[in-house]
This record gives sequence, C-alpha cells and structure tokens, in this order.
Amino acid sequence: MTHDTADTTRVETTAPESPTTDERRRGLFRARSRLGKVISAVVVLWAAASVTFILQSLAPGNRATLLLNLASGESRERTPDEIAPVNAQYGFTDPIWRQYLDYLGGLVRGDLGTSYQLQQPVLRVIGDQIGSTLVLTAGALILAWLIVIVVTVGTAGRRGPIGAIGSLVETVTAGLPHYWLGAILLVVFAINLGWFPVESGDGLPGLVLPVLTLAVPLAGFLGQVTRDEFARSLDQPFVLSARARGARDLRVRSRHVLRHSVLPALSISGWAIGALFSGAVIVETVFARAGIGQTLVTAANSRDIPLVSGIVIVIAAVYVLANLAVDVLYSIIDPRIERS
Amino acid sequence: MTIGTRARPRIALAVTITALLTITLSGCGRSAPTGDGRSTGVPAAAGTPVTGGVIEYGHEQEPPCAHAGWIQNAYLARQYLDNLVSLDDDSKVVPWLATSWDISPDRRSYTFHLKPGVRFTDGTPLDAAAVKSVFDTYLSKETPNSTVVAYLGKYFSSGEALDRYTYRINLSRPYSPLLTVLTQGYFGIQSPTALARGPKANCTAPVGSGPFILERWERNRAITFVRNPDYNSAPANARHQGPAYVDKVIWKFLKDPVLRYGSLTSGSSDVIYNVPVIDWADASKRFQLQQYITGGRPNTISLNVTRAPFDDVRVRQAFAFSADRRAAVAAAFRGVVPFNGNGALSQSTPDYDATLNDAYRHDPATANSLLDAAGWTRSDGGIRTKDGQKLTATLVYAADAIVGPEGAAVLQDVAAQAREVGFDIVLRPATQSEYFGGKYAPADTYDGYVGYWTSPTPGLLYINWRQRLDGSPNPNNTSYYNNPALQQEIESANSTLDPAQQTAHYRRAQQIISDEAVSVGLYTQTTSMATDPHLRDVWIEKSQGEPVFADARFVR
Repeated sequence: MTHDTADTTRVETTAPESPTTDERRRGLFRARSRLGKVISAVVVLWAAASVTFILQSLAPGNRATLLLNLASGESRERTPDEIAPVNAQYGFTDPIWRQYLDYLGGLVRGDLGTSYQLQQPVLRVIGDQIGSTLVLTAGALILAWLIVIVVTVGTAGRRGPIGAIGSLVETVTAGLPHYWLGAILLVVFAINLGWFPVESGDGLPGLVLPVLTLAVPLAGFLGQVTRDEFARSLDQPFVLSARARGARDLRVRSRHVLRHSVLPALSISGWAIGALFSGAVIVETVFARAGIGQTLVTAANSRDIPLVSGIVIVIAAVYVLANLAVDVLYSIIDPRIERS
Repeated sequence: MTIGTRARPRIALAVTITALLTITLSGCGRSAPTGDGRSTGVPAAAGTPVTGGVIEYGHEQEPPCAHAGWIQNAYLARQYLDNLVSLDDDSKVVPWLATSWDISPDRRSYTFHLKPGVRFTDGTPLDAAAVKSVFDTYLSKETPNSTVVAYLGKYFSSGEALDRYTYRINLSRPYSPLLTVLTQGYFGIQSPTALARGPKANCTAPVGSGPFILERWERNRAITFVRNPDYNSAPANARHQGPAYVDKVIWKFLKDPVLRYGSLTSGSSDVIYNVPVIDWADASKRFQLQQYITGGRPNTISLNVTRAPFDDVRVRQAFAFSADRRAAVAAAFRGVVPFNGNGALSQSTPDYDATLNDAYRHDPATANSLLDAAGWTRSDGGIRTKDGQKLTATLVYAADAIVGPEGAAVLQDVAAQAREVGFDIVLRPATQSEYFGGKYAPADTYDGYVGYWTSPTPGLLYINWRQRLDGSPNPNNTSYYNNPALQQEIESANSTLDPAQQTAHYRRAQQIISDEAVSVGLYTQTTSMATDPHLRDVWIEKSQGEPVFADARFVR
C-alpha cells in the first residue's frame, strides 16, 4: 500500500498527467459530485417531509375534533364516542413514531396518503393543481429574466439619468408586495379597463396579470444584483480589449458583459422558485386561479397533514430540481466552474 | 346550520386597497350613500325571457365535501337535492317531495305522503324506503350529519316506510319545529344507492333528485351543475314547475371580495354572493340586490359564567351596558348589516322579541354602579380590581372563519368602550385550526366567545341553551350556562300545541337570556346577492338563505 502510494505520487510529480488519467479523474470527480448532489437532494426531501410532519402533528388542538368540526362548521368539544371512530380510521392514537414510520414508508412506495379533508389521494389532488402553479411560476421566472436582461443591458453602468432611473425602478419594484401589486393590476387592467379577464381561467390572456404580479418584484430583485455585477464587469480589461477591437457598445454589453454579470442572479433564481411558490398563494386567490398555493393554505388551515406534507415535498422537489438546473446552467455560462 | 366561513385576513387588506383605489380612481366628487340594508337595487331588464344559457355564479367559500352540516353544504344542497318540505317566503311550510302530511293527535308521529314517480338522477326511485335510509344514515353513529343530529337527536325515535310512498317519523316527545327544521338543505334526500358508495365517492359526486346534477368539481375553481332534464319535483313555492330554464350553473369560488365584485361588474359573473359592504352603494345602482338576514342566533358574545369575572350577573350586565354596540355595528358595516341587541334570537326568527334589542342601551353610569356594587373598584380611572385581581376578560373569535373584518372592527370598538368603565378586554383572534380544533372549547380557555348559528326556528334555542349535564353533554352551550328554568321554557315551547303559548314560552326564554346577560347581541348574520339585470328570478330561499337558480332565466 505505502509503496504503491509513494510510487503513484512519484509518477504524478515527475511526469505530467496523461490526458486519459486526467479525464478519468475529472469523470470520477464529476460522478462523485453528482452522487453527492443526489444524496443531498434526498436529504432535503426527507427533512422537508419530517419537519412538516412533526410540526403539524405537534400543533395544538385535537385532530379528530378538527376533522369533525370542519365537516359541520362547528367549534365544539367532541365526545369520546364521536372521536373514537375517527381516531381508529386515521390512526391518530398510534404512537407518534409509528405514524411517522407509516408516513415515511408510504413516501418510499410513492404513496403520499389520502387527504383527510378531501377524501382523495394526495398525489391526485397535487396532480390536479400543480400544473396551473408551474405554468404561473415558470412564466413569472422567464418574464422576470427577460425584463432583467432588457433593463440591465439598456441602462446598467450608464452615468446620468438613464442609469439612475433604471436603478430606481428596480429598487421600487423589488419591494412591491404581491397582494398590493396584484390588487392594483386587477382593479386597473381587468376591472376598470377590461383588457384582461377578471378571473384568470385557463387561457393565455388570463395568465398575463398573475404572471406580471409575480415577475415584476422578482425582476426588480434580480436586476439589482445583476446591475452591480454588470457595472463591475464593464471596468474589466476584456471590455476594454473588445472595445479596442472595434465592437459596438450594444454588442459589448449584450455579448461580453452580460454573460459575466448574470451569474449571481442565476444562483439566486434557484431560491426564487421558492419565493414564487409562496407568492403564488396570494396571486391564486386574487385572480381566482386554481393551484397548489390555495390548496396548501386550505390544507394548513385544516391541519390536513398528508396533504400539507405532500405539497411541501413536491415544492421541495421542484426547488431541488431548480437548483440542479441552475448548477448546470452555471457551468454552461461559465465553463471555468466545471474545471476548478 | 351553522357557521359560515368569512373573509380571510389577507382579503381584509384587499378590501382596504379597493377602498383606497375607489377614492383615488373615482375622485372625491362622488359621495357614497350607504345602503339601507333592504335595498333591492335596480329591477330586472325588460325583454323576453329565454330558455338555456349558463349562469356564472361567483360564490365565496368552498367546503371540503358537498354534503355535511355546514351552511356552505346547505347552499350546495339546494341545487342537487330535494327535501320533504319547503319553507315559503311567509315562513309557512309547503309541500315538496311530500305532497301532504298528517300529524298524529299526540303530535308524536308525522306521516309524509311522497310524490310518486320521482327518481334520483342515478335512476334510483325516490320512495319511502329511500327516505328512511337517508334519515337513518344522517342520524347514525358511523356517518352522522352533525346538524341533523343537533336538531333531531333528542327528539327522533324512529323512521318507518309504511308503504311505497308513505314515510313516518316517530318522535320521543312532541317537537313543533320539526317541519320547519326539515326544510333546511342538511335534510335533503340523497340517493341511497349513491350513499352506499361511502363518504369518499359522495364527497365530490353526491346524487339527488334536484333541479341540477353536480357534474364536476374542480378544486379551488368551480363546481359545474348541469340541468336535470327530468326534474319533476320542484317545491310548491318554486316560481315554476319542471326542469330548470338554464343549461348550467358554474358555481365559482371567488374568495377575494375585490375579485368577486369585479367579476360581476366586468360581466365574468352574472350573479355574486356576499356583496362587499364597501361596494353596496355602487351595487344598488347597477344590479338587482337581495339581502337575507338569517334567522337563529345572531352574532353574539357568549359570556362564560363558570369563572370570574362573568360568573357575577352584575359584571355581565355592566359589560353589556358599557358599549354603544348599535353605533359600533352601524359604523363598521356602513349601515348595510343591522344591529341585533337581542343575544338569543336574530330579528328574522319567528317569536323574536324586539323589545330586548335595547335592554342594555349604552349606559356607562349604570355600568359603573353595577361594577361598584359587585366590588370591582378603581381609583385612577384605570382598570378596576377586586382582591388584587384585575377586571380582565378574554374574548375569543375565529378571525378568519367566523368574524370578518367588519365584525372584528365591532369587537375592537366594544373593547375600547368597555375599557372606559374599567374593563380590560383582551381580544384573541383564533386561527381556523385552533377554532375548529376545539382549542377554545374548554371552559377555562375564554371569558367570551363570539359566534352565530343560522336557523329558521326559535327551536334552535334548545341547541344553544340546553344544560351541560353529566351524561347529557351540550357543547353548543358556549356560555356554560345551566338553568333548568330556561331549559324548561324552551322544552315547553318546542312541545306545546298552542301557538300563543309557544310564543309566550319562547319569549320568556329570551327574557331569561337577556336578564342574565349571558349572551350579548351584536349584529345579524347576513348574506346578500347581486344579480345582473339580464338574469331574472334568482331568489334566496328562507330556511338558510340558499340561492335558488332553478327558476332563473336570461332576458334577451
């Protein structure tokens, strides 16, 4: 062993690595890093499921009472006679670790359980609702990026009023609360002007205002991050060299500088998916859209543990996938990352 | 029943925003007259009524399942179920599935003669056996309907199918409110074939014999009702017999008030439920308006008599005297929803005693002297004390489920005025899961509890005021007030034959509740609908305020 190691070390130090070894090493590194990512993804999902389960289980109030009262709209105490069959049906009186293991076992089998309130398999409830929310959040993310690119390339790093206005707009829009923006857009563009349907529905016209509501604050936030980086990149020597080669301003900005400056905003976009989901809760109510946000609020209000946990797991999964996608995009935009 | 879920907190924000927008967008020139609460808005458009079309209805709350004991369930039931009997606009019970009925001389059995030839929309014949099995199911231990149990549990003895079309209910003792009680959507007759599929299937696809069929339920969006083409069992008080005129009703869940009213003004909806108070004046100039003040218990504060400070009747009375509740309600609801000072019954309930509305007219001087007499003293005009204890009381209300933003404003006003006579009133908003989870059900968790219970009959008093006894618990008595004399008055009223005596008993019961100040009345539980002039004959029925679309027609 010792000899082998020493031998290898000697080989390595004395002769430059052959390309094949180098590539194999890099491949090994990549495989290991991918395995690591898969493991951390599984850990994130497990943690999301566990924390939700525990928080919901330990929340005050009796679950059987809650189920009965929600069904009848009452808020009264329930007699042991009333509670017993509900406890038996849902296993509420089983020890908590047992309920937890049952739940995890279901997860491994791909069974998220049955919603207490809706009496439907959780997977089906989520399946019915997630599409609408994904369209909304993906649309918002894409639109936010389009806004960021146009505004940044047009105004960032410019002295005088143009740069200042761009920066001001970003600062203001980044702070706009969704419920405020959504209500304003609804009242002005749907109710008063009638340009868009009041109820969002399924069609493309109905998607515009909800997507704008989510995209505008996000664009402001991403724009702020990009703008600073953009201004820094403009001072880099490669910009000077590009200009020296006779490149026009727009080309310098969009081809050379933009590529450098989007990286910080790109890494935030993974996080932004989570923020968009929470924004969707409000947007879906304001514009009467179906979706996972409304389902989550109703489920949390009624402590529908299987449904809440199921939705949290699905959102966590989307979040994990989004961050993996960000990693991939990162190394496409800046190949140095893969090499380092 | 029972309790309607109201606006959520974030909706309150949206309301504020509309308020701001209304001011900024419409300028300051327009004054906003407040509705008088009974305005009927504009008349239906003149023109030819046509058959067909789709009603887009903007409703508010979405229940978890179609049929249960909540008021939201009664609203839906009216569309796809028929009841044995119906309540007409004059609060008279009229035929529906039962074309006639006989009451035995001892008033302990009611024999219903059913209309022959009615079928559920799954083909099952609607006969006495079906009615029996439905009532037995609603009253069963395994799959009860809690509202059916609350009304009938202590009176129902048995149900019998005497022959194909004759069903009999046997009671353990006379129960005068029975027929009125049966008119509510909770008592609707479902197909026994469908019921036998179990709660899972019935949750979103119940089957009845009503004017519409529940075709599809898209969660968070809408329920689609299609016309039942074979409908032949409309109630006697329907505006027409036979199938509904329109092809479909899209029952949309528009929880946000800005959106809901906007959907009506923009034409996305033909009719909406719960017109926002802030839009009432505008709606009265553009739409047909209907307002329904529910009977039963109004929104009241039940005072917990089992512990200090409200274990002393003088302190309860002082609290009732301490605030100008009438003005608080008028301010918060902009005059749209009426004050209801009688804490036992709402003003639209039969045998309601209007004189009790002002039994505790705002009178800080009396409140102060009652508190002095009860031994609660103050030196500096601050919070009163007795034996080192502060005069503190915690009022619990379900902010997101029962008490909307306007109701919360009323409570804040009341709490602030009570402070002036030396009360320290702590308002505790409960979340929906805390509230329905029973966190505030035990007696030691609150001093006052805000709630309502919609009902077409004063017989409801029995549900709210029957004593809590070992072996016969009554969790609906939220004042924890056990008074055998009160229970006796209510039981006598429920069982007596003579209407005059019945009224006298119900009035004495209200008098006791008022004298003892165990329930402090605030405002009526009120629902409203605004309808486009081009849709006529949408109406609100009398038992629970259920919207009726079977007679509605578009005008061309």
